[in-house]
Amino acid sequence: MSGIMPALLMLCPLVPAVLTFFLREDSHRLRNAVAIGSALLKLALIAVVLLGVAAGNEYELRIPLVPGLYMLLRVDELSLLFITLSSFLWLVTTVYAIAYLGGHENLSRFFGFFNLCVAATTGIALSGSLVTFFFFYELLTLSTWPLVVHNGDEKSLSAGRTYLAYTMGGSAALLLGIVWAEGVAGPVEFIAPLDFEDTGTLAQRLIFVLCVGGMGVKAALIPLHGWLPTAMVAPAPVSALLHAVAVVKAGAFGIIRFIHDVYGIARVEELALGLPLALIASATIIYGSVRALQQTDIKRRLAFSTVSQVSYIVLGASLAGPIAAIGGLVHLVHQGLMKVTLFFAAGALAERIEVRSVDQLDGAGRRMPLTMVAFSLAALGMIGVPPLAGFMSKWFIGVGALEAGRGWVILVLAGSSLLNAAYFLPLIYRAWFKPAPEGAVSAGAERPLALILPAVVTAISVLGAGVLAGLWISPLGWATLIVEREYLP
Amino acid sequence: MSADLLALLLPLAIAVPLVAGLLSLLGPLRPHALSLLPLAPVPGLLAALLVPRHTSFEAPDLLIGVRLALDDNGAMFLAMASLLWIAAGFYARSYLRRSDHQPRFAAFWCLTLAGNLGVFLAGDVATFYAAFACVSLAAYPLIAHERSAEALRAGRVYIVLAVVGETCLLLGFMMAATSAGSLLVPEIRQALPGAPHPNLTIALLLAGFGIKAGLVPLHLWLPLAHPAAPTPASAALSGAIVKAGIYGLIQFLPEGAGPALWSDVIVAAGLVTAYSGVAVGLTQSHPKVVLAYSTISQMGVIVAVIGTSLGHDPAPGTLASASFYALHHGLAKGALFLGVGVIAASGPKVVRSVMIVMALVGLGVAGLPLTGGALAKLAIKGSFAALPLHLVTLSAVGTTLLVLRFLIVVRATAAAEPEARPEAGLLWPWLATAAFALAVPWLLFAAATGEALSYPLKPENLWSALWPVLAGGILAIVAARVMRLEPPNVPEGDLVVPLGRLTDGLVRLVATLPPLRLPIGGGWKRPGMVGDGLLKVESALTRWPAAGLVLLLFMLGAAATSGGLR
Repeated sequence: MSGIMPALLMLCPLVPAVLTFFLREDSHRLRNAVAIGSALLKLALIAVVLLGVAAGNEYELRIPLVPGLYMLLRVDELSLLFITLSSFLWLVTTVYAIAYLGGHENLSRFFGFFNLCVAATTGIALSGSLVTFFFFYELLTLSTWPLVVHNGDEKSLSAGRTYLAYTMGGSAALLLGIVWAEGVAGPVEFIAPLDFEDTGTLAQRLIFVLCVGGMGVKAALIPLHGWLPTAMVAPAPVSALLHAVAVVKAGAFGIIRFIHDVYGIARVEELALGLPLALIASATIIYGSVRALQQTDIKRRLAFSTVSQVSYIVLGASLAGPIAAIGGLVHLVHQGLMKVTLFFAAGALAERIEVRSVDQLDGAGRRMPLTMVAFSLAALGMIGVPPLAGFMSKWFIGVGALEAGRGWVILVLAGSSLLNAAYFLPLIYRAWFKPAPEGAVSAGAERPLALILPAVVTAISVLGAGVLAGLWISPLGWATLIVEREYLP
Repeated sequence: MSADLLALLLPLAIAVPLVAGLLSLLGPLRPHALSLLPLAPVPGLLAALLVPRHTSFEAPDLLIGVRLALDDNGAMFLAMASLLWIAAGFYARSYLRRSDHQPRFAAFWCLTLAGNLGVFLAGDVATFYAAFACVSLAAYPLIAHERSAEALRAGRVYIVLAVVGETCLLLGFMMAATSAGSLLVPEIRQALPGAPHPNLTIALLLAGFGIKAGLVPLHLWLPLAHPAAPTPASAALSGAIVKAGIYGLIQFLPEGAGPALWSDVIVAAGLVTAYSGVAVGLTQSHPKVVLAYSTISQMGVIVAVIGTSLGHDPAPGTLASASFYALHHGLAKGALFLGVGVIAASGPKVVRSVMIVMALVGLGVAGLPLTGGALAKLAIKGSFAALPLHLVTLSAVGTTLLVLRFLIVVRATAAAEPEARPEAGLLWPWLATAAFALAVPWLLFAAATGEALSYPLKPENLWSALWPVLAGGILAIVAARVMRLEPPNVPEGDLVVPLGRLTDGLVRLVATLPPLRLPIGGGWKRPGMVGDGLLKVESALTRWPAAGLVLLLFMLGAAATSGGLR
């Protein structure tokens, strides 16, 4: 029984992925029904598993591949945090993508890889061992590449090249690190921190650097972030998925897994690896914000904002304290909800009223009110305005940093908040307080609803995740449960 | 009613304005949005009047555990703010009747109100911060409502300072809450002196609250925002919203246990603010700007009172007297701002009576005997030692001058048509607020100070209240009639202009920082022999069956390699 759930969760996006590849290009209804149906089914399964894990059940599935090599899928609290986020966003992004790509070509290819990408994310969340993790991590790289280059023009292809160059390099480092770790410590499962008894500290440090550095490419830590702003040439639903849940999150999630379940926070501190990582993350936070401030293209601004915001997650994980760990974990979810809202809105603006750069935003609030309300909420959340979701992340990371004796981190948070305000508030200001340009058409801009409502739904979740943060089932409540179970076994 | 039921008034005081704000944007009430404004603060007023002190309400599922609580000082602020918001709400109904964008104005009005009352009710630091951020940010659309160049400029200065203030507060709160190991405001306040970095924490809190309260040199937004905002919003801004900063200082600065230096620093900062507010205010000729500087000056006095409470062994009831002073100032300044609109609608026939009420309320701020203001001044005197006491008393002379300046410039704005009369919707809310300013302090004096009502009527107290007003009056006459002094011209918002240049430069500097980029990917863009080949492979890969095949091969390869490595 306990093995069925991970299998079902895994098959839920995988089966439609395979099916979709073989669907005819014009069978839109069937393709959409398969995608949305399986997303709904997966959410239902997750609800069951959530209750089970909260009650203390364990779900685990071992699939032998070749002698001595097996895939291990396990549902624990941390994987549920990620998988719930990814499934929820899969559903809304699918609805959005169907509306966004309505009349485009190559839809079967697109949705096939789209679902495959979600399958890979699910696999990453469920991985119970490093080898399994690596397998899905690579699957993710390969299934997202066709999405990045979907438009097929020279710009997309060039972005795709950059993307592959970065991520393949990262993967090579990660693979080397994994092989080394398994070589010295045997098969690595995410249960207890590794047994490194016979290994020198230098080797331990190098393994850490290889693995975290490798995953840092996807998490867009500087100076490994170069691919991310380039990859935003992809269609908006892809950017939304990439920035909110799939690629950058896979990197961040991997780093969390590695710190918590492979090395353990205590050893990370012992090896003096936490501080350098925290410094890199802090530098990324500030650097990403400054670069975002310099961008005039909305999607590029959002892309650099992602560079900055994802490092909050890494920062929280690197601070070696329970409260900061909660902050990092909860930001994994919060950043996803906020950023997906921003990209949905940015895509709708570009698609419906041709607004792509910051100075075209004038009067957009009147022309697309629902979209801009959602955008504004998410942007305020990013700045850290309470009671929105982003505030909770900042509060826990800040308090956690102080508790861990790294007070300087709150200056990074403050600087980042100010920079966030500096690059988001002018957008809100233009949209709501400046008149629309002469002759701007706004009638029927917010159609079809499937293009508009996903942003509204995720914006409401940004508000809900903050206001109802005290509930046990809120992202914050769940992140607290994860950390409690880890620190108080 | 049982205490449990009454405790529900605490969350309702915040929830009702929030719902009213939502209703004014959506649904059938949209055309009547302004009518919701006077109703929204009513639960707040009821809470201040009916809820027993030290009642609390908890909602552990909201935020990180919302706790609302009402203590004596909080009730004083809550009552004043609710009364003022009700009156200003009635006033706004008339004032903005022909204005555009009523639903939007109403929505942000209600949001600001909810945050404002929330500040006075918050019992935990997260709720406090959320409410404070709410009042700060939601006030922006009220200030910028007119969309004129001045309104937008005022809004920009305001929002920059507000965001900086919020950030300072966030840092201060994080540090204070961490060292206290608690989120509850009283515990945080108690633990503050023993925190690892008490000086930094206090400085951050002082900056954050000081920006809201208009502490010089953080006051820059006030003289710009007040004239830009619609009149009822100016009244709420100066009367109630600015008080959120004062209340924050009262709630978080450690009473009787502050590091010794801080008491003196804060008293000095308050006095500097009190005097510079008067000095710059006298040079202004827009009535609302003069009033804004008067607010700055009065907030300086209150901050000085709060400063004395930090020293060892402060006079008992210091913070209660500060709250009492704030209560009077809120109502009086609210009435004066509302009066600006009334006078603009008054023709020669009625303007004289209107001016008499304005003079009474205005000189009340300077401490005219028998007004509520005289009681407020009397209440705070016990807090000060010798030198600061003289300086505070002397500042009343300055306040008198400033009020006279205001009366002169506002008189000039009266309507020219002989028959012009203010409409009832403006007149009555203004009169009511003026009456509250004069009378409410009498009702609360005994409770706030512990003195009998005969105390302010003692001859020596009457005289000490009267002479600064007389002196100010004589000075004004001498300056205007005898010496024919004309005030120099100081731009509204004094330091904004040079500081604005500085920040613009800073922003430009940030905007030109060079990007940091690894050379990965760049080299591939120049197709050479290899590049051409790659492009061909790549375009083949874009056809999905090929991509799928490669993917499958890779997966098999990956599985095989990792298998082989075992």
